[in-house]
Amino acid sequence: MGVGQLRNLDGSLLNPSFASRLERATEAIWRLTEAQAGPAKEGGRRAPVVGLVLGSGLGGFADEAQPGLRIPYADIPGFPRSTVPGHAGQLILGDIEGVPICAMQGRVHYYEGHGIHSTTFPIWTLAALGVKNLIFTNAAGGVNTSFTPGDLMIIKDHINLLGVNPLMGPAGGQGLMAGSSQFVDMSRPYSHDLMSSAQDAAAQQGLALREGVYAAYTGPSYETPAEIRYLRKIGADAVGMSTVPEVIVARACGARVLGISCITNMAAGVLDQRLSHEEVIEVSSRIKGGFSALLRSVLRNEYPRGV
Amino acid sequence: MLRDSTRLTEEEMMSRIREAGAFLSKRLEGLQPQVGLILGSGLGDLADEVEGPTVIDYDDIPHFPHSTVPGHAGRFVAGELCGTTVLCMQGRFHYYEGYSMFEVTFPVRVMQQLGISTLIVTNACGGMNRSFRAGDLMLIRDHINMIGDNPLIGENLSEFGPRFPDMSEAYDPDLRQLARDVGAELGIKLQEGVYVPISGPSYCTGSELVFLREIGGDAVGMSTAPEVIVANHGGQRVLGISCVTDMAIGEELEKLEHEMVVAMADQAKPRFIKLVKGILERLSLS
Repeated sequence: MGVGQLRNLDGSLLNPSFASRLERATEAIWRLTEAQAGPAKEGGRRAPVVGLVLGSGLGGFADEAQPGLRIPYADIPGFPRSTVPGHAGQLILGDIEGVPICAMQGRVHYYEGHGIHSTTFPIWTLAALGVKNLIFTNAAGGVNTSFTPGDLMIIKDHINLLGVNPLMGPAGGQGLMAGSSQFVDMSRPYSHDLMSSAQDAAAQQGLALREGVYAAYTGPSYETPAEIRYLRKIGADAVGMSTVPEVIVARACGARVLGISCITNMAAGVLDQRLSHEEVIEVSSRIKGGFSALLRSVLRNEYPRGV
Repeated sequence: MLRDSTRLTEEEMMSRIREAGAFLSKRLEGLQPQVGLILGSGLGDLADEVEGPTVIDYDDIPHFPHSTVPGHAGRFVAGELCGTTVLCMQGRFHYYEGYSMFEVTFPVRVMQQLGISTLIVTNACGGMNRSFRAGDLMLIRDHINMIGDNPLIGENLSEFGPRFPDMSEAYDPDLRQLARDVGAELGIKLQEGVYVPISGPSYCTGSELVFLREIGGDAVGMSTAPEVIVANHGGQRVLGISCVTDMAIGEELEKLEHEMVVAMADQAKPRFIKLVKGILERLSLS
């Protein structure tokens, strides 16, 4: 599996200089994987088919992968470092429910200041490794007043309020070649198949799943109550500081996307209390058991006989 | 592209703030300001009333940006005003001038470095709420940041505050009440509302103004929110007051004449100054 097989959604090839950066990143990942697990067996490398980006307090799911090879971002050329508490900053490769996964334990956020291209470079890399499905999870504030902290919400659509887009820039500077491939369709960014698969999984687990629209604000300051009223008015159910740029890149790579938010707190002004990252981590940690069961169930539904 | 090269590391930012803070400390010769004042367009004259002023030009301060807007003097004036030791910013830095967010908010960091715990921010704005009139003063209740950038993007300055600061009461409720009381006492009518900053420097179109009003905005401007975000991050109490220098009703938008804006600012100035002085007096007693 190499970068040569990664094409843009419209079939065009990647920009050569970007492709060579991706090649360096994926080669480093394979080299480090083999250094831990031994050389690839006959039949070649076992490419991950599901990529996972795990949000604040939800990184623990990746620890369930067998054998669970760990590759710190610092060892991967081109990867920015995750600097947020609660985000470990490593890739984990292994099998869960017989499905080879590659999880980002610790994501990189735009507010960390790396720039939007660097922030989303890991997503291009996951696609270049062979990932066909990307599951994004995040901690989000509840904008919809019928939500309660601890709720899980399937992202059915998003509103990008970051003011930037990861596909911006001269087409040659990023993965996209030129022309039409820069204009990625966003009419259905979140896979309806994966959404119903997640609903089935939730039903099997006896979990209630919300569905809603995720709005991305840059942060890192939490939103003001006036900003939350604005977001509610324009159709947002939850607000967070991530996921949207990654989803745009995932769609540019043609991957199927599933997004799940953990509502860790009600957004500013909904309740008469201050917001803190500790609360976010506390709530997401509390639901991690149910969350992990849900993700396992999604993997089983999608790949009943493994891969 | 791998790393935005214009961004500074935490160390680099902190060393600039420390150097600027140390320079100011030395120039202040033991004076300890309690309240910082950011004087917006037209309110700069208030600094001239400071007693026993120590004047420090921005140009002399290490790492300080230079102001480019005519009418903004570009200096700190420290001293006594209505019984309170203040540090006034005569002239501020706007995002539309091309400064980075770090530069725009650098003066607030320096104030925090000096131990200033209360910040009063003033500005000129356009009124989007139909019940406002040009010349009104508006207490800022909250803001909606539509600038498209946030001054805390980048490494966190952990010495000042947390990675994710709460903004649920960005404009201190007690200070707002105090301002209301002072307004009532002095017979100065005070509107209240949500301030929406855009990047500028072009003014909004009519459609943009309708949009900003529909999402809950009462006034539109090009400043303040970045400073207020940084002030909240650093644990300062904030009071914000806008002067409505023109009405900005999207459906009835007429060409904005700068002369009219200046005339309205001049007309409001005595009231604005009286209000701020009344607030400082009250603060000096508490």
